[in-house]
Amino acid sequence: MIRGTVIGHVWATRKARGLDGQTLLLVAACDAEGRTTGRLVVASDTLDARAGEDVTVAFGSGARNVLRPGAADNKDVLCDAAIAAIVEGAE
Amino acid sequence: MILGRVIGHVWAARRDARLQRAKLLVIRPHAIYEPAFATRHLVATDDVDAGVGDDVIVCLGAPARASAGGNDMPVDAAVLGVVDRIDWQGDAMEAPGAGPGIKRALDGVGELARGESASFARRAPSREGSGTL
Repeated sequence: MIRGTVIGHVWATRKARGLDGQTLLLVAACDAEGRTTGRLVVASDTLDARAGEDVTVAFGSGARNVLRPGAADNKDVLCDAAIAAIVEGAE
Repeated sequence: MILGRVIGHVWAARRDARLQRAKLLVIRPHAIYEPAFATRHLVATDDVDAGVGDDVIVCLGAPARASAGGNDMPVDAAVLGVVDRIDWQGDAMEAPGAGPGIKRALDGVGELARGESASFARRAPSREGSGTL
């Protein structure tokens, strides 16, 4: 997982059926000190994250487990990055 | 997922049997999170009939295979959506390390107003003038 800051919302009308119902947020990846780096990831959101909030983003099968837990049978979930937590503090 | 722009097609007469019907697009990522993509491009299958110049959402890894037809597909990137609009807040594009790809993407889109909040729309000739896009 990485830390990041939500900076926006991505809208797409023409999309694969598997993306229906997913909220796609634009997340700027942070460096080790928590500063945004300008590198962007599009992550699926189930936690109602808002712009400006710090989040952790899970990739790969971890991201699919956010949307549908169960590593054995969720390979058809069309998601490779998902917001796993909204960060309230870090030190 | 990552954002990128379609910059071309790939044709291949000799290809894996499972790819016979796949349309292969060349994508320039607006942002990168895998060092393997330091080549500044990737080739992705297309599910949504994207065209050159479209800003697209590209999914990597197992979901790309699922989208392309199944877990045994020889694919690791797929275009899953065409971006209509991005609501953009904050100063990420001014942050240290903001990739040239991001700035290029935003510079290319016209009506971006830097500052508190901004949005950009894709420039598809067929949609120009529709207002909301």
